[in-house]
Amino acid sequence: MTNSPLPLQATDVTVAYDARPVLRSVSFSLGPGQMLGIVGPNGAGKSTLLKSLLGLIAPDFGSVKVFGQSVDDVRHRIAYVPQTEGVDWDFPITVREVVLMGRYGQKGWYGRPNRDDRDRAHEALEKVGMIKYARRHIRQLSGGQQRRVFLARALCQGAELLLLDEPFAGVDAATEKAIFVLIDQMAAEGKSLLVVNHDLSILDRFDRVLLLNQRVIAFGPPDVTVTEANLRATYGGRLSLLDEADETLRQRRKTRDPHLARTT
Amino acid sequence: MTPTLLALLDWDHSQWLAPWSGQWIAETVCSMLVGLACGVLGVFVVLRRMALIGDALSHAVLPGVVLAFMIGGIAWSQWGVDESGAVTNTAAAWAGPKIAWLIEEVSQPVLLLIGATVTGLITAVLINVVVRFSRTKEDSSIGIVFTAMFALGIVMISALPQSVHFDLKCFLFGDPLAINDDDLKMMGIICPAVLLTVAILYYRLKLVSFDPLVAAAMGVSVAAMHYLIMGMLSVTVVAGLKTTGVVLVVAMVITPASAAYQLTNRFGVMLVLAGVFGAVSAGVGMSVAFVANSPTGPAMVLVAVALFGLSVVFSPSHGVVFDRIRRFKLARHVENEDVLKAIYRLGPQPRGRFHDTLQQQTRLAARRIHAALRRLRGEQLIVDQGDTFTLTPAGVRHAETMVRAHRLWETYLADRLGVSPDEVHLEAERLEHVHDIAERLDETLGHPEVDPHGSAIPRRRDDDEDDAGPRSPLFPHG
Repeated sequence: MTNSPLPLQATDVTVAYDARPVLRSVSFSLGPGQMLGIVGPNGAGKSTLLKSLLGLIAPDFGSVKVFGQSVDDVRHRIAYVPQTEGVDWDFPITVREVVLMGRYGQKGWYGRPNRDDRDRAHEALEKVGMIKYARRHIRQLSGGQQRRVFLARALCQGAELLLLDEPFAGVDAATEKAIFVLIDQMAAEGKSLLVVNHDLSILDRFDRVLLLNQRVIAFGPPDVTVTEANLRATYGGRLSLLDEADETLRQRRKTRDPHLARTT
Repeated sequence: MTPTLLALLDWDHSQWLAPWSGQWIAETVCSMLVGLACGVLGVFVVLRRMALIGDALSHAVLPGVVLAFMIGGIAWSQWGVDESGAVTNTAAAWAGPKIAWLIEEVSQPVLLLIGATVTGLITAVLINVVVRFSRTKEDSSIGIVFTAMFALGIVMISALPQSVHFDLKCFLFGDPLAINDDDLKMMGIICPAVLLTVAILYYRLKLVSFDPLVAAAMGVSVAAMHYLIMGMLSVTVVAGLKTTGVVLVVAMVITPASAAYQLTNRFGVMLVLAGVFGAVSAGVGMSVAFVANSPTGPAMVLVAVALFGLSVVFSPSHGVVFDRIRRFKLARHVENEDVLKAIYRLGPQPRGRFHDTLQQQTRLAARRIHAALRRLRGEQLIVDQGDTFTLTPAGVRHAETMVRAHRLWETYLADRLGVSPDEVHLEAERLEHVHDIAERLDETLGHPEVDPHGSAIPRRRDDDEDDAGPRSPLFPHG
């Protein structure tokens, strides 16, 4: 592992919308097999950061290197698990088809999934314990099951770097545990994971924690990073109001790009 | 839409009455091809919630169409030549005949198509530009752009040379009489081309339609797919303008696809159904128009809407009719199970008193109990032994599954939802009929042994082949 480039390295990433800075000089790195938790209040730029890491937004300044290269050259090694709330759950599609979509990216523009792809989708569904629901329509799933299906799609991609956007939002304790078992397993396999989340109580389970509020408040192992002073600096002393503020802000934010109309 | 209304006022309906003839057949075939292509493309419009864009595109192609008319209407061969035939501009005189030849070669319909497609794509781009560079949201942006394009088109009509007659009414309402072999040939190419493109890009289109953000993260160009759909839509809409006109063409895009959406949960099936509905609406619409002596475009739209109405009523998953049937079946199912359970509890009983006891136990009318007993007998879950009823082994198994479901629900309600044990029984009475969920409860609860009242929860029999419990026509919900 001496020379292999880091799975993810962000250097001075700066993004502004309408001259209003959203991210200021964000730098961090993620090693192989590491789990990084990113937390911050709403409006802290978490989603923007994810999008810049994925190359969906070009940073105004700074750079993102994935496996030492530009994102566009290594897309097949990255998987992205979006939030479930923006998805049209009435779309005529079954669980199996959603998971199989994980394979589409590696195909050409006319590519059709083959036997191997179907086997991988099957495997991924087994891993998340959703094989029984393979033929179900996605509307028939519970919130936790929907998340597991999205995870299965990412698994199916066979990526080495996974970016998860709030995989624990609104799931019950049992599902949260199941998801954690799964991502622990992936990390053990040498995959690198970046998890955006809201829940401050689970930060100890990550290898690295990044506290974000437009800029990096703190970055490092959880035992030194997650301190009351740092959290106060991140949330501006309004920790107790957070739950209320969360919901209000969530309703308000809307993207401006019609093609990506479902993100926060 | 004032121009629409104005044009409607002085409309000559006699134009619609096409006879049964070669012309009529040509138009029917052409319309069905338009319906097929529109239906298939409509799936993307409906699923991506772009119905307003569909309407906008059809109106906004007007300037492109007028421009094509302008170019086609200019006397190119006279270019650079004065009235007496003397050359006034050498370059123009040289280029003029060449342009005239080129236009002659590509033919008027193709020229229209090119003009319209380009305008359609410009419209789609402009809509996004307005959204991105102003505070305007997408719906308002669509409204601004398409009305502007439409207005521009109408102004351009007045600038057309005297020699060119532009029929705005034909543009607005279609004109079956105007359909000629060129149109038919063109549709004969466009429709298969659209279908082939959708077939080849099927998986990409599905991915982009369902999850554009993940598609983009995978490196799929979401914008390219968007404009491809917009482009195909413009081409199809323009090629089909003569059948329905701009005002109604959006119905051929949205309505068949929406009908298909009611009927299926599969993307591929929806594409096929929407195409079929589109073609059928056009075909039947033409026939109805002929028989009823009515305009053809509106007839097609009404047929499509009728199909949509039927699909709403008869949809297997969302429809009113199947919902009623499901409720009816569920009610029978519950009755059967209640009676079965009562027999299980009571054990063998003499017949005469038995009915009264059952009636007290289940609180069902005598008539309902008779019917339930008959169905249970037919399913061989109970046997009639002279004057008593006894459960068959299958009947016992089914009854045990229910007792198990009932006690699992009681446990769940008491443990997880904090309902007091005295109150759980009634709720469980209702929920016990859903066996497969009970199995999930068992898993969640960690396979409990006893219910809140201390009664043992029977284990699941190994000979029940799956979670769903006994399956029989009588117990479809088992």
